[in-house]
Amino acid sequence: MKDILTENKVSLITLVGPPNSGKTTLFNQLSGKNYKTVNYPGSTVEYSISRILNKYSINANILDSPGIISLLPSSPDEKISVDSLFSHPKFGVPDIVVVTVDASQLSRHLYLVNQLINSNFRVVVALTMNDLLKRKGYQVSVQKLSSILNCEVIKVNGKSGEGIDELIKAIGRQLKNNSYEEGRAEISFNNSSHDLLGSYKKIETIENEVLISAGVDDKNGTIDIEKLNEKLVVLNSGRSFARPDEFTLKLDKIILHKYFGLLIFFVFMSLTFTSIFWLAEPAMEVINELFSYLSEEAAAIAGDGWFGNLISNGIINGVGSVLVFLPQILILFLILGLLEDSGYLARGAMLIDKPLSKIGLNGKSFVPLLSGFACAIPAIMATRTIANKRERLLTIFIIPLMSCSARLPIYALLIAFLMPSDKPWLGGIVLAFIYLFGILSSLLISSLANKFSKNILKVKDNSSFILELPAYRIPSLITVITRTFNNAKQYILKAGHVILYLSVILWFLTYFPDTNPDIQIEGKTEDEIIQLKNSERISNSYAADLGKFIEPVMKPMGMDWRIGVSLISAFAAREVFVSAMALIFKITDDEDNLQNSLLESMKSAEIEGTGIKLFTTATTTGLIVFFVFAMQCLSTVAISRKETGSWRIPLLQIFVFTAIAYLLTLITVNGLRAFGIN
Amino acid sequence: MKSAKDLKLGERAIIKDIDNDHPSSRRIMELGFTPGQEIVMLGSTVFNDPIALSVRGTIIAIRIKEAACIKI
Ligand SMILES: Nc1nc2c(ncn2[C@@H]2O[C@H](COP(=O)(O)OP(=O)(O)OP(=O)(O)O)[C@@H](O)[C@H]2O)c(=O)[nH]1
Ligand SMILES: [Mg+2]
Repeated sequence: MKDILTENKVSLITLVGPPNSGKTTLFNQLSGKNYKTVNYPGSTVEYSISRILNKYSINANILDSPGIISLLPSSPDEKISVDSLFSHPKFGVPDIVVVTVDASQLSRHLYLVNQLINSNFRVVVALTMNDLLKRKGYQVSVQKLSSILNCEVIKVNGKSGEGIDELIKAIGRQLKNNSYEEGRAEISFNNSSHDLLGSYKKIETIENEVLISAGVDDKNGTIDIEKLNEKLVVLNSGRSFARPDEFTLKLDKIILHKYFGLLIFFVFMSLTFTSIFWLAEPAMEVINELFSYLSEEAAAIAGDGWFGNLISNGIINGVGSVLVFLPQILILFLILGLLEDSGYLARGAMLIDKPLSKIGLNGKSFVPLLSGFACAIPAIMATRTIANKRERLLTIFIIPLMSCSARLPIYALLIAFLMPSDKPWLGGIVLAFIYLFGILSSLLISSLANKFSKNILKVKDNSSFILELPAYRIPSLITVITRTFNNAKQYILKAGHVILYLSVILWFLTYFPDTNPDIQIEGKTEDEIIQLKNSERISNSYAADLGKFIEPVMKPMGMDWRIGVSLISAFAAREVFVSAMALIFKITDDEDNLQNSLLESMKSAEIEGTGIKLFTTATTTGLIVFFVFAMQCLSTVAISRKETGSWRIPLLQIFVFTAIAYLLTLITVNGLRAFGIN
Repeated sequence: MKSAKDLKLGERAIIKDIDNDHPSSRRIMELGFTPGQEIVMLGSTVFNDPIALSVRGTIIAIRIKEAACIKI
């Protein structure tokens, strides 16, 4: 390999290491990015690349990779990860491999280092979590480890930035180093368990040699008799570094307790879902007022021609009706973030492995399913930690049934319609119930699909659950909050675009052709005239034409073309449903806030020409049921296709879930009616 | 021969052997369960499966079926 720096080529540095060893934390530090780092093994599922920050003055790209335990893969996805390390299809072969090694897990993590060195990679070891090892009273002698392994070893802390400069220097030195042989020896070591055990034996002796008491000064190597004694004492005291973190051991007595564990699990899960409704209330009120104020002001300034109508009704109300739900989404992301970063999720996964395995899933499905409550897209990507193919496909299949945050605005609106407004806690309970209903139905569907698929696929099945339980830590509030805001920003950007465009399109469809209807003006107030005019205009609009085309499908559910149009627009992205409703039903423009005036017009809406109320308890409940099941998000379909590698699963999702949604809505509405509930 | 799945809560043992026939056995060894290591059974769930074992300073949750190939 020639001198890379003089060739002016951009070098490639790949971060490799066991799960949860701090790769992404280091990657963020070097690239100035803010990728997701959480205290759960397997949080990174894909290679991601970035230029190393200019301030480090090194001309290189850095690649973050999914955690691997060994270069001998145990699952197809692990194989892709490992193969990409030897030669990434897009980014090529790494010039340097930086291996993160958790200092408090030395004997386990050196195993991968050994494999990498034996495969002829240029290795720099980045020793992380030195603070954790120090808490146990130890430190690693960098000099010794470096001379034993015959490669550079640097202590770093990706969280504080300590040691990053030295790591960069070491990388620079290695890039200039010409003494390496060419060529990578792909798995030059043997697969046999004999070799594996030999490798571990070697590592154990290394560990004993390099672990020294935290008090000893490793750098100047002076032999201080007192300190030397201390060192000997520690090393002879029964390998206390081989004990897990004390705090974690204590807490696990409760969390992994037979009965308390279950109790805590339920408390955490129910708090998560009910607090979404309760905590967000005041903030939602403020946003509500703000947007109705903006809409009125805009209408006053721009007049009540088509332009004023476009601005106030089309744009401001459309966007506002969705942003109102931002506080709830923020709270959901915040709580999930706190749970993730504390280290609890891995325990949650362990706790429900058994019940999930009964219906063809895996404990490792838990975290993807849980993130499905935020958004199905990252959730489907997170299924890559599931090694078993059948379990992974099944998890992907049912993820869209988790109530993602885009459904929140819809449920919130429909629940607000059903419940008396003076009892917000009732809404919380109903929401929790909807979530529960969604979960239970998805479990039922999963077990049915499992039975079904077993008969069809007849695959040989090595279902497995082995998961490292990371040490607990107090979640870093700053990290969690930054990530929450980043997620919210993405939501706003996505919602902002989709909803803005669709709102304008919908507004156009509902406003034009702007017929000037003949209305009986006599004996009516001005407000009534405007209202009449608006409803005439809508029922002659293009949207009405479209809606009437699908009305035969809506009628059996007790709904009309207006809900039909809202539902169709929700197939692009669910949250659009609310802004569509706002456009179609918000006919009056009174002083009330956005949501209340929409609720008012929903209450007074009637199925055309019949005098029958459109939104009743029965139809509104039916709508909720529809949204629980229907597969309505184009981005989810796309990611499902990508991750499963074929159209089978996404097509099944579209047809099966939407058919279930339609049928159950039909049954709900007519069932309720049969019981006299209208 | 007894295996890790027979351990009671809080019980310690030294690993004697890893059953090579199980499909997960290599992964189990790669995670640090090797003969000579001490393991401690730290907890379980209401369903008694999986169990949490400590090995080499970390905690690993593992199904009973797979723990059965860790002979003690
Ligand atoms: N105490 C301490 N914690 C650290 C250090 N480096 C990283 N962490 C924390 O360790 C956890 C895991 O870090 P990540 O960077 O996500 O680990 P990863 O190697 O990318 O993990 P995967 O993507 O799952 O393979 C996070 O909670 C980090 O905040 C460190 O030096 N000291
Ligand atoms: Mg990562």
